[in-house]
Amino acid sequence: MDSVPKKRKSVSRRAFIQSVSGGAVGAGVVSRLLGKEPRPRPTGPGELEVFEKKRISFTVNGRKVILDAEPRETLLQVLRERLRLTGAKRVCNRGECGGCTVLLNGRTVYACHLLAVQADGADVLTVEGLASGDKLHPVQQAFIDKDGYQCGFCTPGFLLASVGLLAKNKQPTFDEIRAGLAGNICRCGNYQKIYAAVGAAAEVLRRG
Amino acid sequence: MKNFQYGKPASLEQAAAFLGPGDPNVFVMGGGTDLLGEIKEGLVEPAVVIDLKAVPGLAYIKKDKDGVAIGALTTIADLAEDPGIQKDYRVLHEAAAVVASPQLRNVGTVGGNLCQRPRCWYYRDARIVCNKKGGVKCYAEKGRNKYHAVFAGGLCWAVYPSDLAPALIALDAKAVILSAKGERTVPLAEFYMPPIVNVRKENVLNGQEIVKEVRVPQAKANEKSAYLKFIERGSWDFAVVSAAVKAVLSGTTIENIRIVCGGVAPVPWRMTKAEEALKGRKATEAAARQAAKSALKDASPLAENGYKIELLETIIARAVGSLGK
Amino acid sequence: MKKEAIIEDPYLEYIDLANIGGDQAAAPPLPQPAQPKPGEFKLIGKYTPRVDGRKIVTGEALYTHDLVFEGMLIAKILRSPHASADVVSVDLGPALSYPGVKAALKLKDGRVKWAGEPIAAVAAVDERTAEESLKLIKVEYKVLPHVVSVDKAMAQGAPLVQNEGNVAKSNEYTRGDAEKGFKEADVIFEQTYKTSWEVHQPTETHGSLAKWDGDNLTVWDSTQAIQSVRDGLARSLAMPASRIKVIKHYMGGGFGSKLGVNDHTIIAARMAKETGRPVKILLTRQENSDCVGYRPTAWMTVRAGAKKDGTLTALTLKNYNCGGIGRGDRCSEPFTDVYKCANVKVEEYAVFVNTCGSRATRAPGHTQATFGLEGFMEELAARLSLDPLELRLKNYSTKDKGDTGTPYSTKGLEQCYKLGAEKIGWSRRNKKPGAGNGTVRTGLGMASQIWPGAGVPGTLADVKLYNDGSVEVDCGTQDIGTGTRTHIAIVAAETLGLEPRDISVHIGNSDLPWAPISGGSLTVPSVAPAVRDAALKAAEYLKGLAAKKLNVAPAEIVLEDKKAVSKTDPGKSIDLKELARTIPRPMPFHGERANMTPGFAYQTFGAHFAEVEVDTETGKIKVKKVVAAHDIGRVLNRQTAESQVIGAITQGMSAALFEEKIMDPETGTMLNPNLHDYKVATAMDIPEIVPIFADVIDDRLNNLGTKGLGEPPRIPASAVIANAVFNAIGVHVREIPMTPARVLAALKRKEAGK
Repeated sequence: MDSVPKKRKSVSRRAFIQSVSGGAVGAGVVSRLLGKEPRPRPTGPGELEVFEKKRISFTVNGRKVILDAEPRETLLQVLRERLRLTGAKRVCNRGECGGCTVLLNGRTVYACHLLAVQADGADVLTVEGLASGDKLHPVQQAFIDKDGYQCGFCTPGFLLASVGLLAKNKQPTFDEIRAGLAGNICRCGNYQKIYAAVGAAAEVLRRG
Repeated sequence: MKNFQYGKPASLEQAAAFLGPGDPNVFVMGGGTDLLGEIKEGLVEPAVVIDLKAVPGLAYIKKDKDGVAIGALTTIADLAEDPGIQKDYRVLHEAAAVVASPQLRNVGTVGGNLCQRPRCWYYRDARIVCNKKGGVKCYAEKGRNKYHAVFAGGLCWAVYPSDLAPALIALDAKAVILSAKGERTVPLAEFYMPPIVNVRKENVLNGQEIVKEVRVPQAKANEKSAYLKFIERGSWDFAVVSAAVKAVLSGTTIENIRIVCGGVAPVPWRMTKAEEALKGRKATEAAARQAAKSALKDASPLAENGYKIELLETIIARAVGSLGK
Repeated sequence: MKKEAIIEDPYLEYIDLANIGGDQAAAPPLPQPAQPKPGEFKLIGKYTPRVDGRKIVTGEALYTHDLVFEGMLIAKILRSPHASADVVSVDLGPALSYPGVKAALKLKDGRVKWAGEPIAAVAAVDERTAEESLKLIKVEYKVLPHVVSVDKAMAQGAPLVQNEGNVAKSNEYTRGDAEKGFKEADVIFEQTYKTSWEVHQPTETHGSLAKWDGDNLTVWDSTQAIQSVRDGLARSLAMPASRIKVIKHYMGGGFGSKLGVNDHTIIAARMAKETGRPVKILLTRQENSDCVGYRPTAWMTVRAGAKKDGTLTALTLKNYNCGGIGRGDRCSEPFTDVYKCANVKVEEYAVFVNTCGSRATRAPGHTQATFGLEGFMEELAARLSLDPLELRLKNYSTKDKGDTGTPYSTKGLEQCYKLGAEKIGWSRRNKKPGAGNGTVRTGLGMASQIWPGAGVPGTLADVKLYNDGSVEVDCGTQDIGTGTRTHIAIVAAETLGLEPRDISVHIGNSDLPWAPISGGSLTVPSVAPAVRDAALKAAEYLKGLAAKKLNVAPAEIVLEDKKAVSKTDPGKSIDLKELARTIPRPMPFHGERANMTPGFAYQTFGAHFAEVEVDTETGKIKVKKVVAAHDIGRVLNRQTAESQVIGAITQGMSAALFEEKIMDPETGTMLNPNLHDYKVATAMDIPEIVPIFADVIDDRLNNLGTKGLGEPPRIPASAVIANAVFNAIGVHVREIPMTPARVLAALKRKEAGK
């Protein structure tokens, strides 16, 4: 692959670089094991390991993923381009619209605006992991029932924002739903139906 | 976006030691929500990014007899949801609750918020080399400036965008700053620097230093505070103007008051004249409006941002007026 | 080999959406099938969830952004940083020799007229390589003076954007004698209204993926117009249209910005040809903000003469449109058509500035015009001390061209007025604008709407019956988020006595039977009647088969609940599945959207009513409620129709309060090309929206009596808020977006008595 990192000169003489030599994980490979993680070397005062490529592991939708990520790679890039989980969308790519919202350890985050290395060790949930087999998550079902979408491009982000909201607040008021979804933009403008869907899903979840 | 090297320090001391040589290409990162934006836009090209979130034990809100200590890596969401903060420091709670969006509050940190860079659209466009980026002029001064400063501009008319900074200054909070040489404590009121001191940066950190903690003094029994932020749309917006107020009241009479405004100057802007004028007055909208009006005579608006003066008068008045409620 | 080629921007062709559709010459008249009686429909007009909802909510719906092919290259475009310059030289060499770069194209020679104009492109193994290599292309520019604001472009000595000058007449219209009309008036009133550059900002940025198989080209495109993209590609690439297939399964919004072939699509096709590999190109958010169009501005001076009772005696419009280097929109129709007035004069001018050309934006022309016309009517009503609704009813027309032309086949505007006024509680409005007290003022406003939306005769669709009982509909239309798949399934299922989920809907492929662009409210009134036509033929066929089996006359048979049943003897019935076994082979039935009955004018109508609160100390507007009553003929699916209305009102409110492309005079670049600085409405901003449908069925229009709905609810959605603000504070802001600064300035204007 063309993405094998070059060794770069350290900017600080007291830093040392440790590049992972194993090469990048192929697209679509979700693997439990990649061979041995390089052992951190002991560091003296003022010394710090820095990586041009870092082996990270996290779970996505319950599956463990181990891969070597460049520090500049965003979580969204890793999800979409390397794990082929294209549910989360690239819309603004600046943390301004919520189209890439996923749950990181149960909290909503913008995957486009978080480095993959920041997700090291985390538990990530994307739209692909919401349903259990054929059974849709109540939030998904409610979006269908209430027509809580139009073009559907922002929908995965809204679904995760809604799931994140309902995990924190089982009985949200109308205003709490709005505030909870305030970080997501639906350019088709179907917010009113999205609220209705979230309200309906909350009801279903409460009833169990 | 160029790649960079990434380090996860085991301790803040280790990070500080690494920053020791003062290399301008080494950046520390909290949640990274601001830094990543700067990297993506090509405004900075770090050689190394040090991830402070990797350091254990820096996210905390601890009460003690002196007040409350807030770890720099505390997320803004945790700050906004903390019941103790909500009870004792309304201004801080209200400011944290309206930062950006839920997703960014979940990632963004207190330290990062206090150190964020301006949002001026000329500054954020890598193609435009303004004073802040080593150029020879401020493009906003005679350009499009509806969101720009009405105080203390000159070399740079970008406003300081933080919501937490005005609130914490109103509360007389201090920043605990760590470097390889040790710790120092700086009142947040003295943490920010206007462009005339150094147009290239906004605070006193010297490139080797890290904000470690924020300390807020014990709230007095008769202390009231509030944060009011005016934004154009309903969410995910930086303040057009904002006002953080904290007063010590005797009944409804103001013994003393702090008024710190956001969105109106390159640094959080203290309205000292209005503070003076309000001493001994009732904490009412009318009194505050009168005080603000005369203090705002010092403003120097640009072609498109004169409305901010009118807005600020109202926002200050309403924030002060809400103290008694 | 890697070579250079110049690609012209194919998009600058003006698309006049308001005048697409209803072309009587497009197809021969076909017999109109009998209309079903009210209550006869089981699915049409009811609430049906989308048939593809599951795909959308699971993330399985694949958008152009999501597609990946083996060996695929990623292309990126180098764009001019200058708003006006001559390209002296372009050196692709360093980019071409960058590892991973597989092709590079030079796209520009000579004059660059806007910042963002394509200069060159590269295709590389991945996005980062493409990005990095772009920086290596050496371009030498001779920078020239530019102008990016309308008033500066119109001033003496401004840099010339087009050779013929920066102002050019773009449209004129005269009816009767306006001067005579003014003489007959008791009151003459004039006012100027302005709208801003509003950017589409679809969530999915524009993108295309091109792949060759020998001489055949397949393009996956995020588009509202697969057929037009194919035709545009054939022209641009000088190859047979028959060898091009354009596919679009799902797309993240367009709103008019994706109606034809784009230069990046052509670039992808050329680079794919050259490299022999699939090439994908996705625009960034910044490119989407400043390179693929926006709604042109309008600067409308409206003048009218009226009798004391409100009767219009003359109406004139002088309008300066600004669509960058292009000609902007024509805004005349609402002025010439909504109100009864014998004496009308319109003059429109295009103003050229150094920004990219504008593109059709949800109800091009009409949306801007309605802000001007309806704002003016609200102010005129106040001037005449009339109820604004009464003023509109006073000038109500039943024929087009302001009651001087062809009679409308149906016009449900009066019903819309009545339904909407009742629902909002119109009597609660301030009888005198600004009459309330206190810091926060409440007001009610209204605005009317007209838009063709009749659909395109000649649209084709096939219904195919299989001998296992399954049913397929083939139509070369596309679903841009309105629910087209569901609408097709509803019509076919209704006609064949099935459930929507029983229908396999094949769309989004240009090889399928022809359908028009999905823009201009064309899709439902074009596609649904064609599907209905085909399905009726299929139904006749099935009835014939059933009649034989059941030994009754074909006219006796109805198809319902997945059975063919005798009307007179319900005991005689046969399952459609069983019946289908006798079909010898898959049977296609061709449907066509027929002509409208000649001699009538066909339009959609609607009226919006809004309630707002205005904080007079901050200038902040809070929209509390919008009631939207629409005459769109027969509603196919109330569920998706409501969404159209809700979305359009949200967008209209967003434009009324926030949206504006901000250009920097000095650098000539857009300052807010992202989704934070370009502000679109969020979840926190929206009002309660109440959609109402007048259900006026037009039997002359098509075999379902249905009209389009994409544009109509967007048209009055900004105007109605401005009018409600006027009612609240007693001064009209007259310019959108109505930012706090503008509202505060308007209040000062009121204080000064201006």
